[in-house]
Amino acid sequence: MSSKISRRDFLKVSAAAGAGAVLASCAPTAAPTVALPDLTTGESIPLDALIKAAQSEGSLTTIALPHDWANYGEMIETYKSKYGMQVNELNPDAGSADELEAIRANKEAKGPQAPDVIDIGVAHTVTAMNDGLIAKYKVATFDTIPMKDPGGYWWAEYYGALVFEVIKGAVPIPSDWEDLLKPEYRGKVAMAGDVLKSNQSVQTVFASGISRLGKNPETMEDAMKAAELGLEYWKELNAAGNFIPVIADQGKIAMGETPLVMEWDYLALANRDSLAGNPELEIVVPKTGVIAGPYAGGISAYAPHPYAARLWWEFVMSDEGQLLYLKGYAHPIRFNDMAARGVIPADMAAKLPPAEAYANAYFPTVEILGATKTYITDNWRKAVFGE
Amino acid sequence: MAVERSPRADARPRQDQGDAPRARPPRKPFSWTWVGVAPFFVFAFLFLFLPSASIFFRSFESLDHRFTFQNILDLFQKSDIRNAYKLSLQISAATALGGAFLGFLLAYAVTIGGLPRAVRNFMLSFSGVASNFAGVPLAFAFVATMGNAGLVTRIIESTTGIDIHAGGFTIYNFWGLSIVYMYFQFPLMVLIMAPALDGLRREWREACENLGGSTWHYWRYVALPILAPTLLGTAILLFGNAFGAYATAYAFTGSFLNLVTIVIGAQIQGDVLYNPGLGNAMALGMIVIMSMVMSVYIWSQRRAARWVR
Repeated sequence: MSSKISRRDFLKVSAAAGAGAVLASCAPTAAPTVALPDLTTGESIPLDALIKAAQSEGSLTTIALPHDWANYGEMIETYKSKYGMQVNELNPDAGSADELEAIRANKEAKGPQAPDVIDIGVAHTVTAMNDGLIAKYKVATFDTIPMKDPGGYWWAEYYGALVFEVIKGAVPIPSDWEDLLKPEYRGKVAMAGDVLKSNQSVQTVFASGISRLGKNPETMEDAMKAAELGLEYWKELNAAGNFIPVIADQGKIAMGETPLVMEWDYLALANRDSLAGNPELEIVVPKTGVIAGPYAGGISAYAPHPYAARLWWEFVMSDEGQLLYLKGYAHPIRFNDMAARGVIPADMAAKLPPAEAYANAYFPTVEILGATKTYITDNWRKAVFGE
Repeated sequence: MAVERSPRADARPRQDQGDAPRARPPRKPFSWTWVGVAPFFVFAFLFLFLPSASIFFRSFESLDHRFTFQNILDLFQKSDIRNAYKLSLQISAATALGGAFLGFLLAYAVTIGGLPRAVRNFMLSFSGVASNFAGVPLAFAFVATMGNAGLVTRIIESTTGIDIHAGGFTIYNFWGLSIVYMYFQFPLMVLIMAPALDGLRREWREACENLGGSTWHYWRYVALPILAPTLLGTAILLFGNAFGAYATAYAFTGSFLNLVTIVIGAQIQGDVLYNPGLGNAMALGMIVIMSMVMSVYIWSQRRAARWVR
């Protein structure tokens, strides 16, 4: 199946280059009238040519981009108006596995149900690459992206750090993970998801373990130790009666049921804005165990609109696109590069917790993410609830 | 209906037919009545038979879409999954029994108990609404009244100064979820039992008393045997009601209670566990358990119904 598609791509390329006489003779009618930029090298395509090629496709199909998540609503609108493109949005609530499944299921189909671009948890990039679901492409700003596949198959676009989202007045403001074990937090601490279902909650367990480990784990051995310590932390928190196992969504936070929730900073800060002081939320970056959760972008290897997909990423990874993430409280992955060049507006930066709080943020590798996730989910019920 | 002739009827002399061999009864013309029930059968096929078949076949599918028995083996080998079945069975049994008992008493009170007509009407309307009140709204309602920051919790705290959650009380455990389930369990029992209790005739009781029977005798030998099929059937219904509940439990406790439906949810969606084949195998396990429960029900129903004919 994959050979069929790559052959078609190759046809376009070879026809455009006026070469490949043998293949072209097999399908002489497939030759496009306009020369389209080469897709096989994976190198960045000059913007003018890319825009023209994308506009000839006319539309882009996205998946799993909720409008209230990391400002994707504005990102999509800006892309549409700036380049005169249509955007067809598939299931905004899909998870990373669903996104890969959507590519897999539509390998042969080029209809509106086949996604062009995906935004997945970094741990899922392994499957995506192994199964040949994503195509390589290096955007113009590729060199300034600190976290990526060197071959250009995926790159991180933004990250969040896990923070404490605290209702002011309901509980004392904590400064670190160990504070939460104190008796004044009895029945007050909740997670934003189910450990067996949500990656965010798996990372929450891992982060508490990193805090206990006392340093950011650079080796696999340290990481596994941190995962183990994290389970121990939650066992103690549960035994102390401090952990409420209810899932803290915005409704439960608003009614005060879950006075302290661990959540990605961009979600917590967006909650702070939308609840608008009722109740008043304080966002605390813990002193230790600050874990960064990056998301990875990629292009479907079977994209019906390959140029529109590449244009999307050129836009998202440009300074303009990256600042749109920041507006939605997600840390753009090129934050340091942009900060060094002074292109981040001061008022935008002021809405976030101070930059120093993130100085120690830990970026786990894909291998560490995979191994610790398995360990934590396999042992969660046994370790914490003693089953 | 096929007409079975009793031997006696056959033995009657037939003047109209004489000795001629009997003709086969003519084929009945197509009955339009079938059209009326067709939507039901189409519906049952699409939403009961097809999904069940899909669950069965996908139970044997591995993550990379190959045939495997591993999912079925996992049902017995993984302790998380065994615990999930155990917990689901426990909570279903507890709330089915509790719901049946409470519901029966309530239904008795409003029918035979002789409470004013208005109470009965109110109770039946309430039951009709409450038995359908489930899922996320129900969970949220309980959290909002009895939770850490719930209305009732706060009222008790502000009037008596006692924080009911301080002593270790929490609604987020087995009994908490049981109470939540009871909210839709016992009204269902009331709805079904009230008409059945109405069906108990006063004459039966009087007959029992005339023969010198006590209240105990009446219930033991007359009323309960008559009610038994309904009681059993409703208890099974309540059991299934709780066994299959997902949204209520998920919205209420999230990850804390390891129910089968919640684990299935984690297997077929979500970023973490994700093994749809195993999820389907667990669903198949639920179907098997419900079939076993139903078989026991049918068997005991037959026994119980002997006295009603």
